Amino acid sequence: MERVKALQRDRAPVVAKLVLALVFALGAALVFMGYRGQVQFATSGFSSEGGFEAVYALSRSVSNAWSDVIAPQLGALSEQDRESLDAQALQLLEAAWDSHREGAGGEARALVDDAGSNGEEMTWKLLHAAYLVNGPKVSSAGRKAIVAARGDAASELRAALLRCMLDDSVPVPEAAVKITDKAEGEARRAALVQALFVSAGAEDASLTENVNAFKKGVRNKNSQLEAYRMMAGGGGSWLWKVIVGNSRTVMLVGTALMVDMLLLCFLMASERRWTFDVKWIVMLLIIDFLLIFQLLPMVFIVGKALFPEGSLTLETIRRLYTYPLNLDALKNTFIAAFATMLLGTAIAFPLAWLVGRTNLYGRKFFRALFVVTYMVPPYVGAMAWLRLMNPNVGTVNQWLRALLQLSDAPGPLNVYTLPGMIWVLTTFYYPYAFITISRAMEKMDPTLEEASRICGASPVRTLLTVTLPMMMPSLIAGALLVFIAAASCYGIPSIIGTPGNVNMVTTRIVEYVSLGQQGINDATALSVFLMFMAIVILFISDVVLARRQYITVSGKSVNPSVVHLRRWRWPLTVAVSLFAVVVVLLPFATILATSFKIDVGKGVFAPRNFTLANWTTVFARAETLGCLKNSLIFASVAATVGLVIACTMSYLLQRTSIRGRSIPNFLITLGSGTPSVVIALGLIMTMRGNFGIDIYGTAWILIVAYMVKYLMMGMRTVVSAMSQIHVSLEECSQVAGASWLTTMRRITAPLIFPSIAAGWFLIFIPSFYELSMTTLLYSSTTKTIGVQLHEYWSFTSQPMSCAMAFGILMIVVLLNFVLNRLTRGEFSI
Amino acid sequence: MATVTIRKVTKAFGDNVVLREFDQVFRDGEFITLLGPSGCGKTTMLRIIAGFEKPTGGELYIDDVLMCGGKTFVPPEKRGIGMVFQSYAVWPHMNVYDNVAYPLTIHKTSKEEARRRVERALEITHLSSYAKRFPNQMSGGQQQRVALARALVAEPKLLLLDEPLSNLDAKLRESMRFEIKEIQKRLGITVVYVTHDQTEAMAMSDRIFVINRGVVQQCGSPEEIYNAPVNQFVADFLGNVDFFKGDASNGRVVLPAMGGQSIPYDGPRTGKVDVAVRPENLVFSEDGPLQGILETHYYLGDVDDCRVRVGDALVRVITSGYEHRHRQAGQPVRLAVRDFMVFEDDGSLEEMLEILT
Repeated sequence: MERVKALQRDRAPVVAKLVLALVFALGAALVFMGYRGQVQFATSGFSSEGGFEAVYALSRSVSNAWSDVIAPQLGALSEQDRESLDAQALQLLEAAWDSHREGAGGEARALVDDAGSNGEEMTWKLLHAAYLVNGPKVSSAGRKAIVAARGDAASELRAALLRCMLDDSVPVPEAAVKITDKAEGEARRAALVQALFVSAGAEDASLTENVNAFKKGVRNKNSQLEAYRMMAGGGGSWLWKVIVGNSRTVMLVGTALMVDMLLLCFLMASERRWTFDVKWIVMLLIIDFLLIFQLLPMVFIVGKALFPEGSLTLETIRRLYTYPLNLDALKNTFIAAFATMLLGTAIAFPLAWLVGRTNLYGRKFFRALFVVTYMVPPYVGAMAWLRLMNPNVGTVNQWLRALLQLSDAPGPLNVYTLPGMIWVLTTFYYPYAFITISRAMEKMDPTLEEASRICGASPVRTLLTVTLPMMMPSLIAGALLVFIAAASCYGIPSIIGTPGNVNMVTTRIVEYVSLGQQGINDATALSVFLMFMAIVILFISDVVLARRQYITVSGKSVNPSVVHLRRWRWPLTVAVSLFAVVVVLLPFATILATSFKIDVGKGVFAPRNFTLANWTTVFARAETLGCLKNSLIFASVAATVGLVIACTMSYLLQRTSIRGRSIPNFLITLGSGTPSVVIALGLIMTMRGNFGIDIYGTAWILIVAYMVKYLMMGMRTVVSAMSQIHVSLEECSQVAGASWLTTMRRITAPLIFPSIAAGWFLIFIPSFYELSMTTLLYSSTTKTIGVQLHEYWSFTSQPMSCAMAFGILMIVVLLNFVLNRLTRGEFSI
Repeated sequence: MATVTIRKVTKAFGDNVVLREFDQVFRDGEFITLLGPSGCGKTTMLRIIAGFEKPTGGELYIDDVLMCGGKTFVPPEKRGIGMVFQSYAVWPHMNVYDNVAYPLTIHKTSKEEARRRVERALEITHLSSYAKRFPNQMSGGQQQRVALARALVAEPKLLLLDEPLSNLDAKLRESMRFEIKEIQKRLGITVVYVTHDQTEAMAMSDRIFVINRGVVQQCGSPEEIYNAPVNQFVADFLGNVDFFKGDASNGRVVLPAMGGQSIPYDGPRTGKVDVAVRPENLVFSEDGPLQGILETHYYLGDVDDCRVRVGDALVRVITSGYEHRHRQAGQPVRLAVRDFMVFEDDGSLEEMLEILT
């Protein structure tokens, strides 16, 4: 017994290593075959993989048509008829090749001979293909007439067509008259063949699609010939067809397998446990997703910036970074982000303290209000501030002029400047710092401050010597968050900066992308700047600061002690209220008021200036509703898939100790820190089929982008909820006899449900109104509400876009309310 | 060196009254312990003395100076108090030296003087070799001593301790208990100590205030509290005790639960009473008045913890562990009662037991 067990123990590692090696070999084989397919594909002269695929799809359709229609018909014919049909088919075939003879010469000849010797089936296939591609076109009316035949009528039609082909004198069925009325002789027969196949393939619409794709993909005659030849000869096994048809995808899958196995091997070796664990497989799937959709685009961007033409040159970078407009954009971005960071943190810290740790009136209300700003699309804020601080007609400017009795000259405030932009960026990004700091403040053990008080320090001194230093890591983290958010923001610069000629890196990148291929290459070089800035900051805040985080949560739960403001209580409440009015109320009110205006320059209650038309027009348009539907669907899919990953990751991080679980965690953090335009640019450049995945222009590229950017929000929420459920709660359930699944369902899931709901919304809401990435990635069929709003603002009407913006705001607020209800008040954003 | 005078202090959080008319004087140099179950209001009292809570009513004086009451409120930093928190509250961003020196820095003590005093405080708390360490490099016990050093370094006249030993393991708790007591004796300061651990209270205090539901039940020396509790709550909260209903008349107490057996009683009470017996006051004796059967006994080394069935009642008896081997479960035994307490049966026993269970 002992020996058997020992043997089994010894065998497990061997088996595991063997499996690893086999899968690795499989991956390598796939890469190799994909490469071979790629070579084949290249030597065949196809302009795209699609054409090659079409050839194979076409051949499949032909085979089906053959076995379903032609073969039974032929079987019914007499021996003599069949022979004559065969002969005629050969003639038809030769006629079909006429168009190629000059170009292809002997090769085409050889092909025809080849086809002839391969028997009647091959002949028919070739015949069919030849005519589908080159024969007389079936007019759409005729096609419709033929397709209209159904059931018995269809088979009668087919029989009639076949008979017509066999014998010129047989009258053509009525449905096919239109196709053949002008043709005679060979041409008539060719048209009839095609009509026959149209009728056979009518149920299978892909036949026509395949033909079209084939024509598009296979551009020159030589490659068409090659395609025919491959079709005729079968071109190898089914597997080989798939591999050649999808060579890049095969290579990608192979590479992924190889990377996975290497990683798994490394993990197993470092854990000294040579057994397969489902957790590893799950983790590798997540890693693969992130590697392909996140790391690959980023690496590609860097590569493209350094090797624009395939060789290392800094020429592009030098050219771009010395171009005055770009230099200006870099300078502006840095100044704006830095100033926003300082201003935002300077606002956020006192605010977080007042709201979190003092007896300010209405502190709970203020807290909710400031946090909600976080969920407002930044471009909505930009629109509002543009209306408020427009140098000529801005409401605030009008008030100020009236108040200070200035002349009617423009000013005194002008939003179309760098300071204007900094102000708008600050009002929308200070919540990042506010949330980070107030969270840390609420978690801080209040006795630390009490200890300082009892040592004789006044409240202010305590704030400076104990609270502030303790908050420093969170303060810096919050500040960096503001910096990176401001630097990578697109919505605000595009609305304020573009008309004011204040260029930012993000707006320059989007402009470059719209210039086409060369522009995209240039855009990469610019985005490398943003990316490296983000990575450096991510490194500082995650690695350097994390080590200095003070864990001060005490064992005994204590209510944070409240500092009594005494005679400052009222003045400070008034100050905070004023801030809230300026930063939250005023913009929202402006948006709402503008949405009811006819002339934006006049007040909403000015005579004959109030209208509901903006609302009714915008929300009655099918296009708007379509965009809204798109946004809701894309965001839901992104949030749902994202949350599945988030929950899996939370489980891996909180409940297991498997090695390597920090890899996906790191990648997810990296993704959320990467500026939106960089993510979008990377996806544009890598997801158009050149790496085996072609989702460019589809909804999937948007969904993937949303997931890469917002996955971490969902993950952090679930992770922190899970970290608060002590593992003993689960163990206790298991001891009580519940299975792992039951435990998850009955204990863990109900406990973390509020966080799961919150996590879902945290991915959903920003995805719902996303603009920066969508603006680069959308296509005519995948336009979202954010893009639509931006277009309305730029090209149609400001009041209408304000109506739309307020609609979006209402949806966000409504969702927030739903979330609050769903989580029994525990969460709202 | 400080007298704390508490005059009718009441504290309510909304409708929840946690302290009712607390009216006591803590004398200069005393080691006072506020003892009670959790939620009894003892920590609230301590925080009122420190100045972290404002009482709803009443006045508080330290050395006859009004600290709070009426319109007066002296903030914590002006009260000249030292305090050790249950969570230690050692600042993680400062090393041990800076933590301890903090009060002196605030009071602008000269560098030279500060160093001398910090070193002395560290010496008292056996931390001299840890001055440069950061709190996250120290054990709970060491952090607790840092908190103590910090509280002592400014030589406060009054030291407040809020369950400072509750997070320590048993051995460390015991040694810290005596260290604190030693320091208090040496410096002669007034200490107010909050705990729910009766052993701590007994070992250290000059006077113990037993508090329940915001009301002081009894104050007195540990001995008084233990041996002459004024009511069932105090009797039960300190030490082990078994209660029996009884009828006192003619120099005896009849115990219906023990099959009507009785024990001699020469106290003043008559009629319905609650009899409270501590297990260590029951002894096996051939001529004891109570007859029963030994049901179980657990040998714990130093003592033998027995359960004896007397009538319907199960009585706990703790005797010296030395004789345990002569006893067997199922043996008939006789018990003598060395000492017991008799309280008036006013129905408060049921209520009190409900709280504690």
